Amino acid sequence: MLSTHFKIVDDDFRVGFRFQKAWGTSMATAFFFGEAGAGLYFVAQFFDFALGMIAGLLMVMLGKGGGHLLHLGRPSRGWRAFTKIGSSWISRGLLAISVFTVFGTLHVFDLHTGLLPQAASWLVAAVAIAACLTIMVYQGFAMSHSSSIALWSTGLMPLASLTYALLNGVVLTLVLGFHAALFADRPETVQLLRIAAVALVLYGVVTILSLLHGAKYGSEGGQESVRLLLRGAFRNWFLALVIGLGFGVSALMMAFAPEGYAVMIAAAGAELTGYYAFRVLMFRAATYDPVMSFAPHFRR
Amino acid sequence: MAKWGMVFDLRRCIGCNACTVACKQENSLPYGVFFTKTLSEEVGAYPNTTRTYIPTICNHCEDAPCQRVCPTGATYTRADGIVLVDGDKCIGCGSCVVACPYDQRTLLEPEMLTRGLFRNGELTPFEQQGYKRFTAGTATKCTFCHERVDAGLQPACVATCPTEARIFGDLDDPDSKVRRLIQEHRGRQPMPEKNTNPKVFYID
Repeated sequence: MLSTHFKIVDDDFRVGFRFQKAWGTSMATAFFFGEAGAGLYFVAQFFDFALGMIAGLLMVMLGKGGGHLLHLGRPSRGWRAFTKIGSSWISRGLLAISVFTVFGTLHVFDLHTGLLPQAASWLVAAVAIAACLTIMVYQGFAMSHSSSIALWSTGLMPLASLTYALLNGVVLTLVLGFHAALFADRPETVQLLRIAAVALVLYGVVTILSLLHGAKYGSEGGQESVRLLLRGAFRNWFLALVIGLGFGVSALMMAFAPEGYAVMIAAAGAELTGYYAFRVLMFRAATYDPVMSFAPHFRR
Repeated sequence: MAKWGMVFDLRRCIGCNACTVACKQENSLPYGVFFTKTLSEEVGAYPNTTRTYIPTICNHCEDAPCQRVCPTGATYTRADGIVLVDGDKCIGCGSCVVACPYDQRTLLEPEMLTRGLFRNGELTPFEQQGYKRFTAGTATKCTFCHERVDAGLQPACVATCPTEARIFGDLDDPDSKVRRLIQEHRGRQPMPEKNTNPKVFYID
């Protein structure tokens, strides 16, 4: 009986799995700061927590913007990415970042000075939060739009982005707000955010496992990516950092550890480390389907 | 207007990769960059094994995902169906590279155009002349040798193939050889499940 067993062939002139190499660490860093910053701004705006909003804005502007500029082959032409908003998620994301930067800054400024009339103030806040929400999910859409890579090509990717962004926002708010008036005035907020963090971790675990499940049964490339993450070269990183540290340790600390600044920093550090590892590994483990997968007819 | 396409006859391909070399020469491709490759695959279990050869190339898809995701419009489709990249518009974001299910795009790293074929930082006259067409930091891919096609010639890989395993022609012309081969041998498009409608067909 004839059989075919594909391997990772990299640049060899053989049929097999090939890694995507176009998106790497700089793109993962940009995605990390995008979802962490936007998530922080989103949660902070819910509580009118200015420090969190400013930190979120800075993370998006400097971290995400810087990461993207480092990634681009021709950064000086980056403005051109505004031109295809109708079809490209990269374009939509750039528009969202620009709108968020302008309206988010205006909102924070207005929060301190009361410069704008109330109707305009609400409008500015609404536009800022809409752009912020777009940043929280568009990276997932940009990835799921790539049908070439089974690991990403799932409707769960935007959901994973949103879950992670909210989770990042909650843990960062817990850290930044610990000594701020936010928690002194409303001590019940800490408990609320800690419960929210645990719930989001649980939801995140289910989302990521569903994502892997879908990829495994989606195509041969997806199956190989999942094998790399769970049993292959990236096993230790994925299981230890993404699942163990990012979800397990942070959830346990949020649920059971006594209240304290060090605990919050440790829990947030664990969660953010796991999230960054997730972003990097999603790029590193992404493989294209072997070209022969198109025609079982030819494999006889 | 013609709609250019290509047929790969797998019965004829001998895996010599003359097409690969001709393409690199015609397009002055830098070290490590290929617009076409003929892949080999070992099939079966000992002692019943065989080796097959699969030529690969940009499929110039009718519904090209690379064009859809491009944030600048740098990737475009000509009226004759050839998908090209405008190096002056491309920002090098790589979204087209990850969107191509066939892994047929390359991001031109700046050092690819400066290191030279002999890896000593010096460009040969051939490279100095040929690299003018490339823009560092942008995406590049097979062009179906559009300059040759516009001049009434066949793409370099097709003209070179010693076994006529590559056939190029007008998919819209019912009397063309490519159209006839596709119909007679039930030509298959690569990865039809991706819904990209490639203009490259495989027959065996």
